[in-house]
Amino acid sequence: MGLRKTPAALVAIGTAAALAIAGCSSSSSSTASSSSSTSSAPSQLVVWRMGASVASQVTWMNGVVTQFHKDFPQYAKTKVKVVWIPWTTNATDWNNALASGKNAPDVTELGNTQTPTEASLGVLANVTNYVDAWSGKSGLVSGMLANDTQNGDIYAVPWFGGVRAVWYRTDQFKAAGITSPPTTWTELVTDAQKLMAKYPGTYGIDAITDDTNAFASFIWGAGGQIATESNGTWTADLTSAADEAAIKFYVSLYRTYHLSPSKYIGQTELGNTGSTSGGANTDFGLGKLDMYIDGPWATATMPANSTDKSNWASFPIPSENGPNPAPVFAGGSDLGIFKTSKYPQADWDLITVMDNTSNSTSFANLQGFFPPYTAELTAGPYKAEKFSAGFATAAANSQISPLNAKNWSTADTGKYFIIPDMLKSLMNGAPFQSTVAAANSQLQTVLNTGAES
Amino acid sequence: MAVRAGRWVRRHRVAPYLLLLPSLALVAVLILWPTVQIGTFSFQNYGLDQLVGASPTQWVGFANYSQILHDPEFWLSLKLSVLSAAAMVPLTLVVGTLVGLLLARLGRKMAAFVSSVAMLAWATPAVSASVIFVWLATPDGGVVDWFLTKVPHWLGGGAHWAGFSWTNAALPAYTLATALVVWTSFPFIAVSVLAGLRTIPDELFDSARVDGAGPWQVFWRVTYPVMRPIFQVLFLLSVIWDFGVFTQVYIIIGELGQRDEYNLGIYEYSTAFQTPPAYGLASALAFVLTLILLIITVGYVRASVREGALL
Repeated sequence: MGLRKTPAALVAIGTAAALAIAGCSSSSSSTASSSSSTSSAPSQLVVWRMGASVASQVTWMNGVVTQFHKDFPQYAKTKVKVVWIPWTTNATDWNNALASGKNAPDVTELGNTQTPTEASLGVLANVTNYVDAWSGKSGLVSGMLANDTQNGDIYAVPWFGGVRAVWYRTDQFKAAGITSPPTTWTELVTDAQKLMAKYPGTYGIDAITDDTNAFASFIWGAGGQIATESNGTWTADLTSAADEAAIKFYVSLYRTYHLSPSKYIGQTELGNTGSTSGGANTDFGLGKLDMYIDGPWATATMPANSTDKSNWASFPIPSENGPNPAPVFAGGSDLGIFKTSKYPQADWDLITVMDNTSNSTSFANLQGFFPPYTAELTAGPYKAEKFSAGFATAAANSQISPLNAKNWSTADTGKYFIIPDMLKSLMNGAPFQSTVAAANSQLQTVLNTGAES
Repeated sequence: MAVRAGRWVRRHRVAPYLLLLPSLALVAVLILWPTVQIGTFSFQNYGLDQLVGASPTQWVGFANYSQILHDPEFWLSLKLSVLSAAAMVPLTLVVGTLVGLLLARLGRKMAAFVSSVAMLAWATPAVSASVIFVWLATPDGGVVDWFLTKVPHWLGGGAHWAGFSWTNAALPAYTLATALVVWTSFPFIAVSVLAGLRTIPDELFDSARVDGAGPWQVFWRVTYPVMRPIFQVLFLLSVIWDFGVFTQVYIIIGELGQRDEYNLGIYEYSTAFQTPPAYGLASALAFVLTLILLIITVGYVRASVREGALL
């Protein structure tokens, strides 16, 4: 008898729970709709920012919201809610928000390599009319806006740009007897070895596998291309002599020279994929890593107890044979309006405040980014300071293709991690030719079709 | 009225079915309907465009299923699921049984203490337990790597364990996952074995010992044959749980960055939700996974029917 009672009790509990869940969802949706219908101005705008919450950026955003309320009195009662989304999961979060229609942003930041993919997936609203009527449009760096344009329609506006370089500490270089930063791959290895000899227990340089934005500079620095486009068809180029030399060199940083620890295999600059701090970023901050490839924005995620900050400096990623640095990936972020937002006009008005000349420049300066306006970019103090000098030099020679191809996000950070997985396999000892050849054909298929079949 | 209705119910013996109705309705809403939907998706090109209505849904026949069977990543993730279950299940059963046998020998207070401590491991939420294990095994000062550097060389320890990464390849990652799964699931086995042991009359053990049987022989000649149905059920339950393990592996391999470390569940999740989402293909994968588990479950049901007492 006792045994028979249990299922009935379970069913009762289960039913109650199901009813509770049903009741919950219906009530919340009804309040949402009623609030939107009663007033023309939105009660709340949700802004998705990427990465980990940073105090200085929160302060900056508060200032923007105050200005937004002042410039647009009709939104005086509109709250602006900022949600921080990790870079590694943002594409999934957009998809899920669009698919479920719930917890969606109104305005979202996007990595500039993601904008073409997301625009073609239908995640972003067409903002052409807003942008055409906007006073800021003419001052934007034209290449950055072109990246956000598909078939003549604009889906986002550039917010800031940034490039990667190699971080180091001037006092460590001096102590190790390095007089000037390396300009060739051979010098990079020699200098890393000198640093490791001088500072036992540290790693020379980080050869992480999950940051193709940084690794691209090695391909380009050897004179190669990841993939090239002709008449709308992509040809992957990883098996070219230049690409293979770059891949071999990068893998050798771990396998041959042991300059990079095994724990960086399978990691981004922030540790395991999905984490928003840690990894090589933390190691450099704590002095366990001598040279570190990242953009100036990496300061924001360095640990609070980072050491020897006053000696931080940067030099451009060396090319294979020097003396000019390797071309660097022109990274950055855009601002777009989410497809399902009910308040595109209010969203756009907020974007114009976030992205006006003074706010985008102050935001860029705060983080070590570059503003998206030509005038501010050329007049800025970006080359004068030792910390930003390397980044500014690197920025002079930048490239974005194929990292802005429509299917690049799918190939590199979405469903496939083609180059990261290739580097990981090679560092774990997979045979070189067949692994690179397989990655090359997979890359070509995904770039052209968006999937592997 | 009421009396007549009651008589009708009794005469037609519908009472059992009436009592079953609420749970049937619940199963229909929560399991049957989603299953029908997933079954439908698995024959369609269902993606983000189709979900939001941007382009029409098309029937693609068995294309999703044939794509899965020709996909090397499906076979790799299936291999990892099978191999990890093949390690987790026997280890869980052996450790659980040994602890169960130990519990039977302990005094009442000590048995209560040991079993409640073990149950704490079982009660630890999977996410918390996984995060703790990741911390224990982190290359940056984790206690596991530190301990292994202190282990003498002839036991496999040594300095090369310093900074060893447990997440950068499938073998170490699944070793860690196996340790975690065994740790969280052995208590259930131990308590079930203890309950089974209590049902065996002491006379059987006594006469075996009088006949000169050692502990090894007592286990294999008395305990195991009597408790065989229980072991069968525990084995099948463990296979179902460990084959479908998701949370622990997802956290240990660092979410979705490592495609060569996916098991079947994670591969299915990635197919469904990573850019670009392929709900149709993932639904087909879900059906394949369900089919595999169904085969195992049929075995489970047969074993438990034979066992009787557990029903």
